Amino acid sequence: MPETTHFTGMEGDNTSDSALKANFVLHNRYKIMGVLGGGGMGTVYQARDLNFTDVRKLVAIKEMQTIATDAALRASMLKTFRREANILATLNHPAIPKIFDFFDLNDRAYLVMEYINGSDLELLMSKTKELPNEKILEWAIDLCDVLDYLHNQKPDPIVFRDMKPSNVMIDSLGKVRLIDFGIAKTFVSGVKHTMIGTEGYSAPEQYKGDVTPQSDIYSLGATLHHLLTRKDPRLEPPFSFHERPIPNFNPNAPAELIAVVERALAFNVTERFKTCAEMKEALERQRYRSAGVVYAPAETASVNGSTGFFEEDAAQIGTVQPKWTFKTEDEIRCTPATVRDMALVGSYDTNMWAVKLESGDLVWKFATRGGIASSPVVDENSKLVIFGSEDYTLYALDFRSGRISWTFNTKDRVRGTPRIAHEHVFFGSDDGKVYALGIANGRYLWNYDMNAPVRSRPFVTNELVIVGAESGEIIALGLSGARKWSYRTKRGVISSPYVDMNEGIVYVGSTDGFMYALDVANGYNSWRFRTQGPIISSPIEHKGYIYFGSADGNLYCLNAQTSRERWKFATEKPIVSSPIIHRNFIFFGGTDEYFYCIDLDTGKERWKFKTGGAITSSPTIAGDLILVSSMDHILYAFPLVS
Amino acid sequence: MITPPPANSHSDAETEKLTKPLDEAAVAAAAEPAIDTVADGVTRPLPQDTFIPVAGNEHAVFGQLTDVGKVRTNNQDAAFSFLATTRSADEWPDFGLFVVADGMGGHQDGEKASAITTRSLASHILGTLYVPMVRGDEDANQIPVNEVLETAVQKANSDVVANVPEGGTTVTAAVVIGDLAYIAHVGDSRIYLISKGAIEQVTRDHSLVQRLIELGQLTPEEATDHKQPNVLYRALGQNDTVDVDTLTRRLPPHARLLLCSDGLWNQVADSEILDIVTKHPIPQEACNKLIALANMRGGIDNVTAILLKLPG
Repeated sequence: MPETTHFTGMEGDNTSDSALKANFVLHNRYKIMGVLGGGGMGTVYQARDLNFTDVRKLVAIKEMQTIATDAALRASMLKTFRREANILATLNHPAIPKIFDFFDLNDRAYLVMEYINGSDLELLMSKTKELPNEKILEWAIDLCDVLDYLHNQKPDPIVFRDMKPSNVMIDSLGKVRLIDFGIAKTFVSGVKHTMIGTEGYSAPEQYKGDVTPQSDIYSLGATLHHLLTRKDPRLEPPFSFHERPIPNFNPNAPAELIAVVERALAFNVTERFKTCAEMKEALERQRYRSAGVVYAPAETASVNGSTGFFEEDAAQIGTVQPKWTFKTEDEIRCTPATVRDMALVGSYDTNMWAVKLESGDLVWKFATRGGIASSPVVDENSKLVIFGSEDYTLYALDFRSGRISWTFNTKDRVRGTPRIAHEHVFFGSDDGKVYALGIANGRYLWNYDMNAPVRSRPFVTNELVIVGAESGEIIALGLSGARKWSYRTKRGVISSPYVDMNEGIVYVGSTDGFMYALDVANGYNSWRFRTQGPIISSPIEHKGYIYFGSADGNLYCLNAQTSRERWKFATEKPIVSSPIIHRNFIFFGGTDEYFYCIDLDTGKERWKFKTGGAITSSPTIAGDLILVSSMDHILYAFPLVS
Repeated sequence: MITPPPANSHSDAETEKLTKPLDEAAVAAAAEPAIDTVADGVTRPLPQDTFIPVAGNEHAVFGQLTDVGKVRTNNQDAAFSFLATTRSADEWPDFGLFVVADGMGGHQDGEKASAITTRSLASHILGTLYVPMVRGDEDANQIPVNEVLETAVQKANSDVVANVPEGGTTVTAAVVIGDLAYIAHVGDSRIYLISKGAIEQVTRDHSLVQRLIELGQLTPEEATDHKQPNVLYRALGQNDTVDVDTLTRRLPPHARLLLCSDGLWNQVADSEILDIVTKHPIPQEACNKLIALANMRGGIDNVTAILLKLPG
């Protein structure tokens, strides 16, 4: 019999030494034939009743020994045993084995019972891959019936206490028989040391000593869950059944049966069935349904449940409409910037556009000689907006007028978004270099050659400039341009690194499909998380969680310390847009053309809006507006507060 | 949200640039007499004025102690500490590996299981992470540390299953590179982070009692005098694979990291641990006091403590 519970510190355990040998005649009546099973506390023998001389009457004899060395304690245990044996002997139910006799001998107690020819459910599970759901349903009904019988005993209900697969026999007729009553429990005490392996099927309140008939309902639920999913609860964290939904492991399990099992497994006693009779009734309704009818599970999800500033809008999904839109002459791939009362956005039509935040009316435009993929960045001190163009040039314009302040030429297209920090501009170019320029006049400070196009946006801390390149390399440079450390991912890095300044961890995605967490001090890799597609979207950290999109179509939320997934939100197409967080919501665009608003805690959709093209850029928040641009040439301004 | 560094960041950087050379000058001045001594081969008494009181530790330091307790006849706990601190132009960060394993099982199975586990972890982790670092490999930082820890624990698990089929063990391990701690654990041996006058339990016990607390069925107070034996739902040596919790924590300056078996935390309250660790700046002394207190309370279990103190 499989046994997962290991008791430790039981050096005095000598059960095996004193097991009764075959052919030994016990109590002048029972000839031992062999051992049927044994656990920590005793042995079950098969024996022949010699009182029946003409027929071969087989019985099962359960032997229990106490490990108590104290004579008085031992005596009291035997007394309890006798009392419980008396109760069992009066029971009369087809699923309960008959008790023929009980006695004690040499400080051991013996219970003589009906021998059941069959195998228990645990053994049955080990021999099969799956059992028919109809069979499981039938057994469940019979188990409810026998438990209900026990629970209705007078004067006190009998609680079985130990419902689990190994205590349910399926006899030669295919009927369930309950074996191993809680009687043995009397003898299991005094074990104080650390044990490995939980009982797995017991109800939470049982650990506080509150045992009621509804504890049996929980354990029956746990047994059925194990039968249906084939996931052994003794190998899982206690009370974690809800983390293993039955349909994930048994797609054919009927919805109604699942609902019954889930209710039986309710953590709070009050949420379970009140009686086994009630549970049985629910199961029987399932049995009498005609075959071939498909029942959809009850729809309980509600969009109106939570509170939030989008409440009114969310009640009617799809009603969030842009306050204004602004159409450029080509695709917009960059993230808009805002300064004072203006929004700035570059377009593949070669122009940098400045429009009024209030109305979307044009303020000025500036034409470069190539498309603009780099996002504009604003510096209030120098009154500049800085961005790159496909014409190889980095531009710095006075954001008030759109006039050129200075320009800087590289040897290839500038697609990376610049970073302004420490009164300098840091940016990458397709010519393979990372540049540092003075912000006031564009004076060249240094460059670092990464030998591959640099399209990710540098992150600058008090000490380091961290940036990735098409070669897959992530590099950390000192503010003077000297290399501090590097980390190589397997494919190009387009995603911009994000540094959690408090924890000192760099998060960066790679087109090799992994999100990496690196120590900002030395580039050591704490963890990496695999997605099913390249990661182009840049991550953000918020209250201990990392959020980012992947080309596999999911937006991920991971625990930053453990890298475990908290939730993911699936869209139809790759996500390359970088998400942005406002209060309790996360916003991002999809290449499926939708602009999404997702609840930060649950990962559930609040609302979405369909634009006319793929969204590849990140949204921007300005006052009570959220701006996002799409490949449909349009800049959208949505109201942020409903 | 991508936020620019705070406006004063530039001045912070400058302040640091200003202070650094001063420190270096002070250190150089302190070293000078020693160089003289070597140069002319004559031993002279150190001039009084070059004595600089040591305010803190420039590198991490640790203490470790394990004890059988007052009741058990054998110690099934195992402890492993490794700390390399370097000063050279290589600028290697401090590297530490600390492991506590609490074995379970009769007939010496427990102590065998915990011993195999520390051995297995140490050889895998030092071989995969530390050796490439001291070899100066360019890509020493490439391999994800949490995966190294996970693999090491899985290997240890296989080793226990293969060699001590009746034994089991907890394991709690911390790799410290610089001031970043990479943690892996299974079971109920714990890691505490003690910093700025507060103590925080960093690991979450894989025990039935902890699970009942998390689900609101037990209060932490009820748990301390809980009648149930201590039941773990995860341990090494039970199955072909084991579910390992890994996490990363930045350690603040002066922070202490305490690894301990349940023999300590069952007997000594968190507040007392905080008190002792704070009062004894030398980690070994703090370990000695912690274990003495556990034994004073009855010493019913093996007890182990490893205390790492970060520089600052």
